[in-house]
Amino acid sequence: MDAEVTSDTAAQFYDVVSPTGQTTLERRRLTSTLGFGIYDLMPTNPGDPYAPELSFRLRLRYDADYGATPGTSDPTNFNSFVPGFQPQAVDLMYGYLEGRRFLRGTLGFKLGRQYVTDVLGWWSFDGGEVSVTTPVYVKAEAYGGLEQRGGLPLSTPRFEADGVWRGDRNGFDPLLYPSFQPAEVAPAFGVALESVGFTWLHSRLTYRRVYNTGIANESDFTSGLIAPVTYDGWRISSERLGYALDASAPGLGGAKGGLIYDFYRARITSAYGSLDAYLGQKVTLSADYDYYVPSFDADSIWNFFAGYPRNDVGLRANLDLDRRLSVAANAHVRIFSVQTGPFTTGLPASEGINTSLVPGVVAADYFPAHALSFDEGGEVMARWRTSTTRIAFIARGDFGSQGDRVGGDVTGEQLLETRYVVGGRVGVWQWKDDLEQDREATGFQYVLNAGYLFAPRCKGAIEWEHDINGLVGQRFRLLLTLTLGAGSSASIGSLPGTVK
Amino acid sequence: MNPWSKLALAALPILMAFVVVPLALAESAPATVHGLAPLPNDQQVAANLLPPGAFSPDTGPSDVIYPTQHLTLRFNHAKHLGKEIGATCKTCHGAAYRSRSTSDQLVPTGEVCDACHSTDHSDTTNVKPGDEAMGQCAFCHLGYKNGDGNRVAVLELPRANLVFNHKVHVDRNIACTQCHGAISQIELATRDQLPRMRGCFHCHEAPNAASRGNAKSACETCHLPGRDRGTRIQTMFASGSLQPPRWLHNAEHTPDFIERHKWVAADDSQFCANCHKEDFCTDCHDGRVRPRNIHPNDYLNMHPIEARMATQRCTSCHEEQSFCLTCHLRVGVAESSPPVAKDSGRFHPPKNIWSDPPRQPGHHSFEAEQNLNACVSCHTERDCVACHGGAGVGGGFDPHPSGFLGGCATQMRRNPRPCFVCHAPTDPVLSQCR
Repeated sequence: MDAEVTSDTAAQFYDVVSPTGQTTLERRRLTSTLGFGIYDLMPTNPGDPYAPELSFRLRLRYDADYGATPGTSDPTNFNSFVPGFQPQAVDLMYGYLEGRRFLRGTLGFKLGRQYVTDVLGWWSFDGGEVSVTTPVYVKAEAYGGLEQRGGLPLSTPRFEADGVWRGDRNGFDPLLYPSFQPAEVAPAFGVALESVGFTWLHSRLTYRRVYNTGIANESDFTSGLIAPVTYDGWRISSERLGYALDASAPGLGGAKGGLIYDFYRARITSAYGSLDAYLGQKVTLSADYDYYVPSFDADSIWNFFAGYPRNDVGLRANLDLDRRLSVAANAHVRIFSVQTGPFTTGLPASEGINTSLVPGVVAADYFPAHALSFDEGGEVMARWRTSTTRIAFIARGDFGSQGDRVGGDVTGEQLLETRYVVGGRVGVWQWKDDLEQDREATGFQYVLNAGYLFAPRCKGAIEWEHDINGLVGQRFRLLLTLTLGAGSSASIGSLPGTVK
Repeated sequence: MNPWSKLALAALPILMAFVVVPLALAESAPATVHGLAPLPNDQQVAANLLPPGAFSPDTGPSDVIYPTQHLTLRFNHAKHLGKEIGATCKTCHGAAYRSRSTSDQLVPTGEVCDACHSTDHSDTTNVKPGDEAMGQCAFCHLGYKNGDGNRVAVLELPRANLVFNHKVHVDRNIACTQCHGAISQIELATRDQLPRMRGCFHCHEAPNAASRGNAKSACETCHLPGRDRGTRIQTMFASGSLQPPRWLHNAEHTPDFIERHKWVAADDSQFCANCHKEDFCTDCHDGRVRPRNIHPNDYLNMHPIEARMATQRCTSCHEEQSFCLTCHLRVGVAESSPPVAKDSGRFHPPKNIWSDPPRQPGHHSFEAEQNLNACVSCHTERDCVACHGGAGVGGGFDPHPSGFLGGCATQMRRNPRPCFVCHAPTDPVLSQCR
């Protein structure tokens, strides 16, 4: 049996200034995690490929901003209070018991707070998962429990569907902040079928349904005047089906593809495809397509708003000059559809029909004439690395109707005497925001960092960032990190050696 | 001197020039020395002599898995395995037939050579050379010079960074050539004759529970277990960090892999989990420290333009109605910011562009239709309902797209809450969605 304890701590000091300079947030952040793992909980016979494995892993996180004023977290202070903001939050990132290869390799399970990662996204829930690996190259998986939701104990909102301002309303006057929705448990379940065993083909079909429960406020624009109307009951939060595929032929190339179908919206909300051609051992050429439509929690009104998909078409190339040096480049075009006429929803007073709201304008002059708009971009990246040195370069440019951004960074890191790390980053970026007045700048930035590996798996580091641009002057950021790790591990007994 | 003698004397220089000198030169030309390279005169090794799974042209095996060797011996496998000598693999590498670990010593000791080379390696502090040329130290030990005594250059064969049990494979009648290639036609065996991962998959391509006996395809079958036990295999070695080859899931970690990794993880996250534990993913996807390789320096100033252009998909790592909105509320740029923080500035184009017709780029509806996520990072639904609600001020600004009525009944049945935000439950217009 092996055990390990790990910890990561980061202290960050910087200021955030609003665009006009009227508001400054002094961010004095401390984030610390504590991880704990026990492995090989069951006695195993070394070399037995069917030996079951049992392990337990857990990680807690403390995340604080000591720069926040007390009023921002005081629900009785209407002038300063920010609903949902937690100046000192503790969450359980994960904590689960995992079994693998039970019943001669066929059964696996997880119990506790865990992640599910697939084409439907990066997701977390509290509950159980069981998987069965069959002899016919297919694995079946089923899971169920409660989605991790912000506002509930030891939880963050990171994993819930977007579109609902939601959190812990304990201590709130129900008349205040009615648009801030109370967090309630969200039952969820999912199933998946996945291919296993092949190196040249893999695919996963996955389905997940999440429910919203409890009370949701509805008429939320009369804050403080009347109690909000509420809706109470089980309802869909999200229901989606996803599929992803990956195939490769070592001498030729590869292909990837996937899609998500949203049952609530009754449409495909994401699809992608990528083709890679291997030209010799050093060059890979690729063509990509990506389709995306924003989708939100079914409690959100934004699913009902008109929106057009993004269609990204891109070309990529990668050149491995040798085992240390690689260069990659890509270019893409994003294609949007544009509304060129009034919608015909069938509902009364649909916009464009009701041009009486905009005197003197007729529908033909109200919309753009062109049905498509385009954004463009591209980048070049290079990387040179050895076991002690890493140098990376990136330059990119993005151009669109919202503005543009062009710039590049050079990053270097060097390990000295197996324990000292020094590094730096220098960048120049020019950007222009066409959706804000007078928001464009050319900035120069540099970062210097140094670290010391004072024991195996233990490192302390300091980083200084200095950003300079004509719009906001100079900004500074100080980052201190401490990584600790210790444990007993049987695998360390098989350290590489040299026959001499 | 008779004429014949004169003729013979005259012919002597010619004979010297055309016969003796060439012969002498031929004698002095260096003969090919065997065993210094895989093939004589360092010829390129043909693909059919390399281990199964090698590419053509071959770039060699991973130098992370098989660290660089320093070979200080010359050895001719082809000669020893040929009819003249008739040795077999087992003659010299008998230990391989019993080996259960890559840390076992599989290169024969000098004593194995003694029987034929008339040397005596029984005492390595006092090795005795043989009488014949092939018994001399310099015959095998490269760089050895007379007078070096008992000192020879060190042979460095770092162990492979693998889990490998030779005995199991030998017991299954897997021949040496099935992993090491045509050694019998190779002179000096180098790293190039070590097994290729792609070749291993000829057998190790099966699910954990399936049909090919114990030749499991799980990564930890062959790769060393992770020292940091959250990962299944060890990836960091003195010889470098382990990276997936291009042909495996198209997952070569190229400089732009950060932009492509989502497709690999979306299809097979367990493949990623072999080398990365959750913490590696959460550092970005649920992180609290800005990753520099994703967001460049001065990102606080730059992020609005990136969010508007959606060059990166913010929602991959951030929940907009919590992560983004909370900060925007605090710094005063959101519509619902608390009074003490609310900034008096305008963060959108002037009204005549942002709200008034025509609906060109820069108009809020044009921008919302292309990137609603950007709106959601600052606005709560109240901000939109104020104008787009079903009654009152915004009664005329219907946000629904064409064809909305076709699916609204299903949506309303499954979750009517968003309908009731803008329309009172008794609103007659809802009857069209019931």
